[in-house]
Amino acid sequence: MTLLEDRPQPPSEEHNPLLMDIVPGPRPAGLVKYITSTDHKQIGLNYLVTGLLAFVVAGIMALGMRTQLIVPNNHFITADVYNQLFTIHGTIMLFVFAGPFGFAGFGNYLVPLMIGAPDMAFPRFNNLSYWLYLGGFSLLMAGFLTNNGAAQFGWFGYAPLTEAIHSPGPGGDLWLVGIALTGFSGIFSAVNIITTIFTLRAPGMVMFRMPIFVWNILVTMFLVLLAFPVLTSAFALLWIDRHLGGNFFNTQKGGQPILWQNLFWFFGHPEVYIIALPYFGVVTEVLASMCRKPVFGYKGMIAATLSIGALSMGVWAHHMYTTGAVLLPFFAAMSLLIAVPTGIKFFNWIGTMWRGTIVLNTPLLFSIGFLIQFLMGGVTGVILAQPVLDFQLHNTYFVVAHFHYVIMGLVFGGLAGLYYWYPKMTGRMFDERWGKASFILLLIGFNLTFFPQHDLGLRGMPRRIETYNAGLGWNFLNELSSIGSYITGLGVVATVINLVKSYRSGPIAGDNPWDAQTLEWACSSPPPDHNFEALPPIRSERPVWDANHPDMLTKVGH
Amino acid sequence: MKVESRTIIGAFVFLVILAAAYWAMVATYGHTAERSGIAMLIFSFSAYGLLGFYLLAQYFRRHGTPRVEDRFDATQEEGAGVIDYFPAASIWPAGMGLGMIFGGCALVWGLWYLYIGGILFIGSVIGWVTESDYTEDVLPGIDPAELADHEVPSGPSLPHHG
Amino acid sequence: MHLASSLLGSVSNFGSPQGVTKQDGWNHLLWNISFWFALPITLLVVCLIGYALFRYRERPGKERVPAQFQYHIPIEAAYTIIPLVVVAVIFGFMFNAENQQSKSPAPAAGNVLKITVDGFQWGWRFVYPNGHAEVGTADYTNINTNSDLPVLYLPANEPVQLHLVSLDVVHTFYVKDFLYNRDLIPGVDNNVNFTVKTPGIYQGQCNNICGEYHAYMRFLVQVMPADQYNQWYANQPACSVTTAGISGPPAPGTCDSQLSKGFQAGL
Repeated sequence: MTLLEDRPQPPSEEHNPLLMDIVPGPRPAGLVKYITSTDHKQIGLNYLVTGLLAFVVAGIMALGMRTQLIVPNNHFITADVYNQLFTIHGTIMLFVFAGPFGFAGFGNYLVPLMIGAPDMAFPRFNNLSYWLYLGGFSLLMAGFLTNNGAAQFGWFGYAPLTEAIHSPGPGGDLWLVGIALTGFSGIFSAVNIITTIFTLRAPGMVMFRMPIFVWNILVTMFLVLLAFPVLTSAFALLWIDRHLGGNFFNTQKGGQPILWQNLFWFFGHPEVYIIALPYFGVVTEVLASMCRKPVFGYKGMIAATLSIGALSMGVWAHHMYTTGAVLLPFFAAMSLLIAVPTGIKFFNWIGTMWRGTIVLNTPLLFSIGFLIQFLMGGVTGVILAQPVLDFQLHNTYFVVAHFHYVIMGLVFGGLAGLYYWYPKMTGRMFDERWGKASFILLLIGFNLTFFPQHDLGLRGMPRRIETYNAGLGWNFLNELSSIGSYITGLGVVATVINLVKSYRSGPIAGDNPWDAQTLEWACSSPPPDHNFEALPPIRSERPVWDANHPDMLTKVGH
Repeated sequence: MKVESRTIIGAFVFLVILAAAYWAMVATYGHTAERSGIAMLIFSFSAYGLLGFYLLAQYFRRHGTPRVEDRFDATQEEGAGVIDYFPAASIWPAGMGLGMIFGGCALVWGLWYLYIGGILFIGSVIGWVTESDYTEDVLPGIDPAELADHEVPSGPSLPHHG
Repeated sequence: MHLASSLLGSVSNFGSPQGVTKQDGWNHLLWNISFWFALPITLLVVCLIGYALFRYRERPGKERVPAQFQYHIPIEAAYTIIPLVVVAVIFGFMFNAENQQSKSPAPAAGNVLKITVDGFQWGWRFVYPNGHAEVGTADYTNINTNSDLPVLYLPANEPVQLHLVSLDVVHTFYVKDFLYNRDLIPGVDNNVNFTVKTPGIYQGQCNNICGEYHAYMRFLVQVMPADQYNQWYANQPACSVTTAGISGPPAPGTCDSQLSKGFQAGL
């Protein structure tokens, strides 16, 4: 069955039936819809729900690890299981949750809506990339069911520990294949979203009127296109080593283990921005909408995003300062420079709040949470970008605290987006009380978990250790950290309860409950197949606001 | 296409400069393993160059007539009409994905999975390709005249290349 | 009690621990500079966010019109240029510190003590110039026992060069009190230079995931005054092996392999 899609007509007096109404065809529902749908909204929801599931699963692994570390010399789980847990926790959080939840989940759902397109450019391709993603997730989890257990070498799998003699069994292979499948899924999504943004915009939606979120997704997708092929080729080399007797990472036969580190981090650092940029976009949209103001420095914001994307290609070896085989000044300079566009973003966010009318609801609170956490992560990032200090702190819990502040900051951004677009996606309003409770629990729990870890790192606790000696002064801080992790768990439970409960019984939200600005709020909630009944004229970067508030158009300052 | 192509060519130029600087520094001070970084940067700017200059060519091919989505003053009426072909729900992507997942399992557990995966994959490709026969089977059961009513006659119906 | 002492400890020097080597002054310098920049900037951002949230929050009954302004070139230029300057200053200090730190002690000094550090799954071997080796692996059932750990004996106030060699996978030589990490990577030869000031016993640990018992891959560093160290060194027969504190006679052929492992890279 096929459809031709009409460009939506402008609103007119006489009845003008949409092509969609007259095309007969199957409208699958339920499980069949989940499996076969080519609708970008259904696929985006698939990604969001699967990503949230992955977040919960990997979070439970984290609780297992924190329980193991709550007292010294603990034997709650064995070293073997602990290593599997942190490997799969990291892998799932990065490759299955944080990245795809943002660029594929929010990206799929929102990009066509925000640029006024009926669907993605390649809808069936889109569906395929979801299945590869789900397959990758399943294979990563399947590692736990094999005889030797899942992969045990950390999410960046430094060779030669990943070679067959050090990590035998299918666990390591499942890790390789699982990540490679999510990588292919990412590449397919990237091709799809870039094509959509370049060719399917509505009339008048020039590039410099697209919402910041769409710009950020665009840059993210370009980073995906460059980063994931490098990772996949590194995986091909490793697979050849493991199965065909290759020697790419075998020193005895002339291989170079450090080659893996170069290849992996050439992917790995852009990956950090692949994860981060979509949530920057989400937070920008939420802040602008909840403050009833345009984004303060719209073009500055885009320039900052573009420079983060460009600079992120030149910082990969700042994860490798302590190898003694990298150009320290080059990578230190590039890494420090990234702080500048990130700072520009912060001041733009503050400028967006300035003299607005700030509605203190759950999405806004989560955005503020994002700002504070990410600020902390950024400051410790500037410390770690300096080789001399990295020699001191590399691979200690200080680093763990640093990147968890960054990534949990992004999780706050993700939850802000989830709450913000929840009425659009489900047609129903979430429960404010549960949302705020979740925010407070997450804020307290998260800071209690990770703030003490800065000090643990300064006291010399290495990351990825299964247990520790009682006499090193780490006991109390670890206890605090573990207690905090349980509170964080409660916060996530509160959000899940809220989302499920409101889906069944929340009040009907209406098309534009936030008095929002961008185009996705011009269609009904949830949007119909092929999205728009009618498009408002697009004369600025916030067409819906212009249509609703013709007396409050943007005034450009100095 | 102007903004699109310039953005990507800008990234291309940045990466060329970055690669040159990095190459010079590695050649002077670097470790041998760092040559991989040069290779990866060359790959990166080549990829951006390919896309950026393709888009630039697309821009020049239009001889200065911008698309409706590139014009600041375009109205919704101007863009009305057929946009593109959007397929309805389809089982074949799921089949193809399952085939690729089985192909991945073959890398873990051995060739047997590849036979299953290959059959699934090829079967799904055939299904997918025949399903989307654009020229012959666009809209079964619909009168083409009815379709024509939906095109705005005076619109500058620029072709869209999906 | 513990919390209070840990917080008080964090106030001086912004929480950076004291090191025991001559090189750690650079760490303190950079740490302090980073904080002198980071604290005001962080406070500024947090205060601006807090002020905006309080001042411009929506209040029922007091409706006000949100200002619809956008762009302000002077402000935008300021928050682009000032961070650039800050970053440049930090980079300048860092560049200088990094050069100075990697230079000392002068490699020309002929009296540098050269020790080979071999890491393996999951233990360490420290080979001295006369072929004496200290080897040890931990007790994998109880991490609280220190008796099995290998000990790296060092003289105080004398330059030491450690040649880091991995016998299997990637490990990291990490002693918290040296404020220093360096990887042991097959195929990459790393030499690190230290001069330890304070005698004492320090905890060291592998700092890179290296397999199942990574957590147990610990060692001790015993730094002794130079005369004590010389006495200890004179008592170690060439090519002898001390395993977990118990010294034994050299096994036939051991010394050659120890020497060839550690000294193959022209140390």
